[in-house]
Amino acid sequence: MSLLGFGLISFFFAVSLAAPVIAPAPPNSRDPYLIPQDGYSPDPVLPGPRHWFGTTEQQYDLYYGMVWGARTAFRVALSVVLVSLAIGILLGGIAGFYGGWVDEVLMRFTDIILAFPDLVLAVVIVSVRGPGLDNVMLAVTAVSWPSYARLLRGEVLSVKERDFVLAARALGGSDLRLLFRHIIPNSIYPLLVVASLSMGRIVITAAALSFLGLGAPVGYADWGQLISLSRNWILGTSGNPFAYWHTVFIPGATIFLFVLGWNLLGDAVRDILDPRQR
Amino acid sequence: MFGVTALLFAALQFLSPEMRASLYIKDPRQLSAMEAVIEKYGLRKPLPVQYGIWLKEVLKGDLGYSETAKMPVERAIRAFFPATLELTLVAFLPILVLGVYLGTLSAVYKDRWLDHLTRFVAITGYSLPSFVLGLLLLMVFYGKLQLLPPGRYSLDVDLLVHSEGFRHATGLLTLDCLLNGKPAAAWDVFKHMILPGATLIYINLALLLRITRSSMLEELGKDYVRTARAKGLPGSLVVKKHALRNALIPVVTLSSLLFIGLLGGVVITETVFDYPGIGRWGVVAAQQLDIPGVLGSTLLAATLFVLANLLSDILYAVVDPRIRIG
Amino acid sequence: MIRNFSTPRRLKNLLALLLTACVWAAAEAQIKNPDTYTYLTLSDADSMDPAWSYDTASHNVILNVYEPLFAYEGSSTEKLEPRIAEKVPSRQNGLISPDGKTYTIPIRKGVKFHDGTPLTPEDVRYSILRFMLYDRDAGPSSLLLQPLLGYPSTRDEKGTANPKAFQDAERAVRVKGNNLVLTLPAPYAPILTILASWAPAVSREWAVKNGDWDGTQAAWLKYNNPKKESSPFFERTNGTGPFKLERWERKTKEFVLVRNDSYWRTPAKLKRVIIKGINEFGTRKLMLQAGDADAITADRSVLSQVRDIPGVEIIDDLGTVQMNPVVYFTFQVNTVANPYVGSGKLDGKGIPNDFFSDVNVRKGFAYAFDYQGYIRDVNRGKGTQATGCIPKSLPGHNPKQKTYRLDLEKAREHFQKAMGGKVWETGFQFTLTFNSGNIPRETLCQILKRNVEALNPRFRIDVRPVEWPKFLDSYRASKLPIFVMGWQADYPDPHNFAFPLMHSQGDYPATQKYKNPEADRLIEAAIRETDLSKRKGLYARLQEIEHEDAPHLVVLDSVAYRAQRDWVQGWSHNPIFPDSPSGSYYYPIYKAPKPKGGAGGTGKGKG
Repeated sequence: MSLLGFGLISFFFAVSLAAPVIAPAPPNSRDPYLIPQDGYSPDPVLPGPRHWFGTTEQQYDLYYGMVWGARTAFRVALSVVLVSLAIGILLGGIAGFYGGWVDEVLMRFTDIILAFPDLVLAVVIVSVRGPGLDNVMLAVTAVSWPSYARLLRGEVLSVKERDFVLAARALGGSDLRLLFRHIIPNSIYPLLVVASLSMGRIVITAAALSFLGLGAPVGYADWGQLISLSRNWILGTSGNPFAYWHTVFIPGATIFLFVLGWNLLGDAVRDILDPRQR
Repeated sequence: MFGVTALLFAALQFLSPEMRASLYIKDPRQLSAMEAVIEKYGLRKPLPVQYGIWLKEVLKGDLGYSETAKMPVERAIRAFFPATLELTLVAFLPILVLGVYLGTLSAVYKDRWLDHLTRFVAITGYSLPSFVLGLLLLMVFYGKLQLLPPGRYSLDVDLLVHSEGFRHATGLLTLDCLLNGKPAAAWDVFKHMILPGATLIYINLALLLRITRSSMLEELGKDYVRTARAKGLPGSLVVKKHALRNALIPVVTLSSLLFIGLLGGVVITETVFDYPGIGRWGVVAAQQLDIPGVLGSTLLAATLFVLANLLSDILYAVVDPRIRIG
Repeated sequence: MIRNFSTPRRLKNLLALLLTACVWAAAEAQIKNPDTYTYLTLSDADSMDPAWSYDTASHNVILNVYEPLFAYEGSSTEKLEPRIAEKVPSRQNGLISPDGKTYTIPIRKGVKFHDGTPLTPEDVRYSILRFMLYDRDAGPSSLLLQPLLGYPSTRDEKGTANPKAFQDAERAVRVKGNNLVLTLPAPYAPILTILASWAPAVSREWAVKNGDWDGTQAAWLKYNNPKKESSPFFERTNGTGPFKLERWERKTKEFVLVRNDSYWRTPAKLKRVIIKGINEFGTRKLMLQAGDADAITADRSVLSQVRDIPGVEIIDDLGTVQMNPVVYFTFQVNTVANPYVGSGKLDGKGIPNDFFSDVNVRKGFAYAFDYQGYIRDVNRGKGTQATGCIPKSLPGHNPKQKTYRLDLEKAREHFQKAMGGKVWETGFQFTLTFNSGNIPRETLCQILKRNVEALNPRFRIDVRPVEWPKFLDSYRASKLPIFVMGWQADYPDPHNFAFPLMHSQGDYPATQKYKNPEADRLIEAAIRETDLSKRKGLYARLQEIEHEDAPHLVVLDSVAYRAQRDWVQGWSHNPIFPDSPSGSYYYPIYKAPKPKGGAGGTGKGKG
């Protein structure tokens, strides 16, 4: 199973590396992330020899979008998750470890952010800074780190009273050492699980923001943006509800495999890291 | 809570007065009146002054007027919140129960087909954007089968609920209908929540399931579990009494976060199913820079959050006696 | 034994009866909610106050609940029929004075408001005065202020009210016996047509009873530019129209209208009308399909999805009164802190502030756009190329006016001439903007970009979506080098297009900093001219100037389509009616099985 996960992610990674080769950007294009359009007519076109994966509305080529979208997916997911994890672990760890007023202050701050309904905060940030993928990343990071912080704090609170920690403390380690060497590695599992699911989730959140008109610009190679383009075509025509199946299925299946891959990978990593599971 | 609103206010001040005036100017024909609109709504005053004005009004009990909802903010909250609360209750309980149950099962039967199946199903829910799932469900159950329509209630219940004698006791329409002696109407309201509820359940199940599973796995691998088993205690007893309790810590954290999230409203589901909840109002307000609306809905969310925090802190203590409160 | 024989016969009769009932019920049961009409729309209404609202969603309800002095005959945008008025004034019937400045309008007798009180000419006078003197910022009051008082606002730029406004207004609008007499400072051709869409009749008594202005000079300043929600007119109505507003449920975004059984004409056939706002197209489509909605808003890009639904009919090729999209050039761009102009100089990396004031640059763009391609691809071939600022459905439109066509050779020529050849040598770079979410406009920008860039590798254009708030910001500061917008008619008269698009004080030229004195002169003459054929001549000459100057590029004379259930009868098209063709005047509409094709026409089986 974990092999499958690893395989999937490597596949996507390879695709994203090979993007300029397997889906070359058209000449004249200043930004390879902008999907080429074949004409402008509004109805999506089914997969065929001209467009291997078909097109979306406004004739954006899905094959190109999927390939370069892999790059975007990695870029966005990795940056958001890594940064939020870092902030979350730092703040949550310190809060949980020191307790007292440090905990109070940090947690109040975390609470303030957490109290915002996710999307409202994201929407506000994007409204203020303007649409575009960078601001989307900023917004999603801003709403993600508090969950990690809280989770870690909860774990730390519990772990720090455990025997092995008390023992280490008795042996006279410095606070920092204690925190980073003993407590955090043992508190980190739930975060890894959440993080691994998040990798795929980021793409979904981007799709949600695109649905609201705040994500990457239309025509940018982003899976979330592409699947949100399917919204008017999901129902198909009345005789044939699957008339435009490819607009949903292709980005949908890709996202699904991406999420699945990270899940399995996350599980595998956890299995490896957990000494007690051997 | 001040923090929340202050932060939000500050963020919004990054927008120029012209941008904030766009809330009131929707059409190019009205552009000539821009300056006057800015004057009228005091959009040029310095930030602390505007915040002070708003705060003063709030303390007087006046939350202001939400342009996007076309009603005073407090009325908007009273209009939208009960609907969201009802939907959250309908969706949350199954998520919690199913999530914990299936997660535990998954952990106990790790790597067997049950484990794989539940994880697979959960992941499909998780990797689908909610509007895709929502529209597909709507297409099948409403389009093809004509069973479950969108909206909050159907036409006759609409007329009933707004008629003279109807008493709105709780704001939760299912309850209210029952209290007014109209079980058919209650069923109608409930019917309208099935699809959005199902969408929410399917999408959020994965997270809870995974957390429970991994937490349980951790616990089950621990020494005291092995000891208990060795002592001959039946498996299910071990699981229920000991492992589950310990495994629940992260579950509690996450489910309280989830509950808050749901209470904050789920704008996309609400949009697709035409469900009049807080989510749609909050996000549309944010998009259109309806500042009183955004502040109002955020204030509500902040309050709920504080309440839920208290609740989950209590639950922490219940679940893990080793955590000292204070 | 008698029983044995009569029972079967009675049974047969009973069965026959049942069967008939079933079939009949089936035919009836096909039509959901036969006396209730449901319309699903996109936009949110602003207010029910006729003196406040300037948006189509509010107006769609207002014009079904309130009634103006006149209305349009059927589908015409030119022929008026009397509504609250008894007769339409004209030169022939003597109700318009020879100098064109005085209009005498007899008021219909026997009309009652929804609360039962009778309509008097005093009410009509009050309605017009209130419409003008209310004058909220960014509201519609200028539409009557300009013709009746000669100036567009009751306040100056600083916001101070003009104390003489009331006197000017009450002098202009008087009651003489049963007539309303309007005295204009100068002839104004479209005055009657404005009164067919705006300032419907409201009850002064009701207004006073509910805390609004009493119509006197003493109080008018208090009610000048008030807060929207402070007025009783905001969410409650008391009109004379065929429907009453039972409820505006803002929580679920719906209007519930009920029939006015004391209407002065035959009451409407529909008992109830529900107008609901649902943002998601998929949901609207499903409701139309299920028969829970009778008509929905759907734009051309999703036509293929509504076309073949059983039970739904599509009525296409309906004329419109709009100019959309239009590509505007800013003659003097504000290059301070402007992210759209690159370096701000003609050095190949930007554009100078007067880039578009060179007519050759504008013509270069004009010949580089693929008008037919746009119509074919974006509009699925529907609609025709616009010939000038006046749309096809209005008098003054000149179908023979020369237009620009895609001609890359000519485009190249003009670019080579531009700025003495410098443009061609050094090239340029700037950002082309459109308001985000608007796909046709985005496509237009893409087409323009592609074609222009293909002429010369040194020509570089970036296309960017801009959020509405940011757009307003930049627009107001004249920072957008080119912007794409649309214009929807306030009333169906060529002046309503000519002024905002071509007059130096009009909305767009003022921001573009475009001024052509000849154009101004023509527009001002045309508004005073009441002879239609003379007006047409003036507008024809105006549109020639428009073509020569090319301050903007008009693209499309659009046609719209309507998607409705086939049991909807009685609908007729009038492009000026707010939110048409999806929204409509509900008075003549009723629901009945589609006539003809009755023989097994349902094909859906028994209900």
